[in-house]
Amino acid sequence: MKRLLQPVPLVCLAWLALLAALALGAGAIAPHDPHLPAIKHRLASPGALYWLGTDDLGRDTLSRLIFGARTALLASFESVGIGLAAGVSLGLAAGYLGGWWDRVAMRLADVMQSIPALLLALALIGVLGKGLANAMVAVGVIFAVSFLRITRAVVLAEREQLYVDAARVLGLRPFAILLRQILPNIAAPLIVQASIALGTALLIEAMLSFLGVGAESNEVSWGAMLDTARQFQSQQPLLPVFPGLAITFSVLAFNLLGDVLRDAMMPAGTAHPRAATLAPAAPADTPPPPAAEDALLAVRDLTVAAPGGAELLSGVSFHLRRGETLGLVGESGCGKSITAAAIMGLLPAGVGVASGSIRLGGAELVGLPESELRRVRGKRAGMVFQEPVAALSPVHTVGRQLVDAVRAHEGKTGRLSGRAARERAAELLAMVGVPDPRRRLDDYPHQFSGGMAQRVVIAGALACEPELLIADEPTTALDVTIQAQVLDLLMDLRERLSMSVLLITHDLGVVADACDRLAVMYAGQIVETGTVEAAFARPRHPYTAALLAAMPRGEGSGTALATIPGRVPPAWDWPAGCRFHPRCAHALPGCAAAPVALADGVRCRRSGELHLQGTA
Amino acid sequence: MKQLLLTRLLSVAPMLLLVSLFAFLLVHATATDPVAQILGQGASAADRAEYARKLGLDRPLAEQFLAWLGNALRGDFGVSLYTSLPVAESIRERVGVTLSLALAGMAFAVCCGLPLGIAGALRQGERADRLLNVLVSIGLAVPSMWLALLLSLAFAVTLRWFQVVGYTPFAESPLEWARALVLPSIALGVHAAAVIARQTRSAMIEALHSRYVQALRSRGLTRRRIVLGYAVRNALVPVLSVIAIQMSVIVGVSFVIERIFAIPGLGTLLIDSVVRADYPILQGTVVAIACFVLLVNLAVDIAYGLVNPRVRAD
Repeated sequence: MKRLLQPVPLVCLAWLALLAALALGAGAIAPHDPHLPAIKHRLASPGALYWLGTDDLGRDTLSRLIFGARTALLASFESVGIGLAAGVSLGLAAGYLGGWWDRVAMRLADVMQSIPALLLALALIGVLGKGLANAMVAVGVIFAVSFLRITRAVVLAEREQLYVDAARVLGLRPFAILLRQILPNIAAPLIVQASIALGTALLIEAMLSFLGVGAESNEVSWGAMLDTARQFQSQQPLLPVFPGLAITFSVLAFNLLGDVLRDAMMPAGTAHPRAATLAPAAPADTPPPPAAEDALLAVRDLTVAAPGGAELLSGVSFHLRRGETLGLVGESGCGKSITAAAIMGLLPAGVGVASGSIRLGGAELVGLPESELRRVRGKRAGMVFQEPVAALSPVHTVGRQLVDAVRAHEGKTGRLSGRAARERAAELLAMVGVPDPRRRLDDYPHQFSGGMAQRVVIAGALACEPELLIADEPTTALDVTIQAQVLDLLMDLRERLSMSVLLITHDLGVVADACDRLAVMYAGQIVETGTVEAAFARPRHPYTAALLAAMPRGEGSGTALATIPGRVPPAWDWPAGCRFHPRCAHALPGCAAAPVALADGVRCRRSGELHLQGTA
Repeated sequence: MKQLLLTRLLSVAPMLLLVSLFAFLLVHATATDPVAQILGQGASAADRAEYARKLGLDRPLAEQFLAWLGNALRGDFGVSLYTSLPVAESIRERVGVTLSLALAGMAFAVCCGLPLGIAGALRQGERADRLLNVLVSIGLAVPSMWLALLLSLAFAVTLRWFQVVGYTPFAESPLEWARALVLPSIALGVHAAAVIARQTRSAMIEALHSRYVQALRSRGLTRRRIVLGYAVRNALVPVLSVIAIQMSVIVGVSFVIERIFAIPGLGTLLIDSVVRADYPILQGTVVAIACFVLLVNLAVDIAYGLVNPRVRAD
């Protein structure tokens, strides 16, 4: 409802209300008889007597516009009404009966759509005789096709839903099922489509009347007024202006209203509320974690903010040594992927680094222009994604995508020949273990299984032999049997190419298998860092301990898995004090009082006193 | 790909048959008796029956349809009730004009709609994008015939850059042919351009926010290469379907534009036949135009297969 109270829809509604009022009260409102000729005033310009001038017979333009509104609205509602009645009932029948009924209906719909609407209208007028009522029946038939398609699509979708079957079991008759369960679901798309169809109908009415086969001479139509304008515009150039504007505004009003209704009735996601104020600054982490001399990647005090000012990351610090694998662990929504995106310079629009530093091989990445960041991507840091098939363009061959990756960092000199680039792409596929690599270069992503597609994505990330590979949940979307293979491949490639790997995962099992050290993230902060062995044996943060307790261990002991109560709060709602305290089993009243600093690799006031359960 | 082509070609045949049946039944559903139309009300019953037998109107409907279809397949759509000229002849004379106009209008629509939609997506939310959205909304609402009148008033009547009315066949003078088509094709193409721009913009935005574009960026490809090499190609898939639908719309609206610029295309023939109840012409024109639209859809289907490998594979 709120969306209808914006200026644009209000103006549209006001215009349509005005049209409706003019159409209903045309006789009382119009200053002159729209059919009365006054030859001595023919083709008059706007003046005191005729506010908008007159036509070739001296008839008042304003009065004709007012009566034209009646014709336009009647014609539009007639055709859309016919279209709705016929389209919805046929769509319900076709979708629900299915089989041959459906096939015949859809073929007929195809045939109708291959005949231009205006041609069908002209043909039917040819048969039924001139006149708007006949013409708009034809237009209604055209609309029926699009309403039929919408209705059928919804019915087919809903038919699969359990509740229709459930209703059938409960003994409701099919027709009752259709009406009660399906009509509410198609109301929204139908209303939107009907609003736009009203605009289209108005246009078609104007065209038919313009061609002289629509409105009769005793009716007034904006389209027919335009036809008069066509003949006399050299004598009175203002003639086409008013009917043209009337048609344009009316169609615009129906269209814009349809757009607003679509946005209002079919929401595509909720907007994020903006954070009112920035959270109070956290105390400096003491001492700042020393970046080792041989660190390839050093992230220091990284704070990333969303458009409203909400901090997605707050003072994140960690480092990754050469040849090392660091696991970045936490539930969804803790900021792991944002961290990866920040390192790659791929933060979403509006999201930006507010403060802090990211150094890769000693060079600062924060603040680099896009052109410099591009040189880093792929060349010095590669990335692998969670859903491999989505990470490949569906309409390009795998070979094309790999060749482009190979060539992304070519300079002006030393360009590879097409054949050499293709050869290199095939080598990459072979390296990641795709069988028959040369032939598979010509395949499209949909021809690869999930595991094979992930190998292709890995090949793309490694095309220019980066020193750092960021793997964002590389195995999560894959079958369990494939997960281990892909993880083994990553570890194998790390050895062979002497890369460093930042492995983002929510799966501590993956960390145990593949990582040297881990950094645990919660609500945009690092809460614990350390070696995998130490953290697993003796976690120091309650969140780490909770994650470990929730890890399936294949013991088959039959004990229920522990889960962490509650969920990660959204970024604009990080809790005050220790961000984990609302979900923490060990929280004390003081935990909510003040932000906690990361000290000696752990962000917990009670780390000294708690003895948390590890996996040992 | 071969299979796709074959199935699409095969699917056109029954569609054409249905359209022909529709065109045939259209006339037989009519209340007016063609015999009375030709011979006039004064003719004797015997004369009428005689003439009806000559036209084959006394035979069963199915037989009449088959006979009509057989003739139509040989390119014989009968003769005009009004001029007695062969229908096929009249259509052949004018079909080139309608094709010129419709294709020129679509060319304008694609040449404007695609780049504008792409530009809007690349500047999403910026001032240029908002301006484009306003233009698209207006383009969707402005009636083509009004636009034609205004264009004609401005550029033909006032500035005299173009002829106010008339048409020159391509064979006579390609230059004059092109010149005669400029204003009509703009008037015809603006609406379709708006539709295409809108679809292109949303398809491009979807493509640019996709995971594969993020992956391409993570491999260090330039923005230019990502946009032109990948995003546009992906966005074309939905845009092609819209182009096919718009082609049918443009053919219909071309009848209106013909009238304004006095272009002798199928529309004039059709409207005359509607006004004079000249059924053979009506039948023939409906079939000819439906054929053209089906062929365009076929071409788009094939283009769709070229762009979208998933369709090709099935």
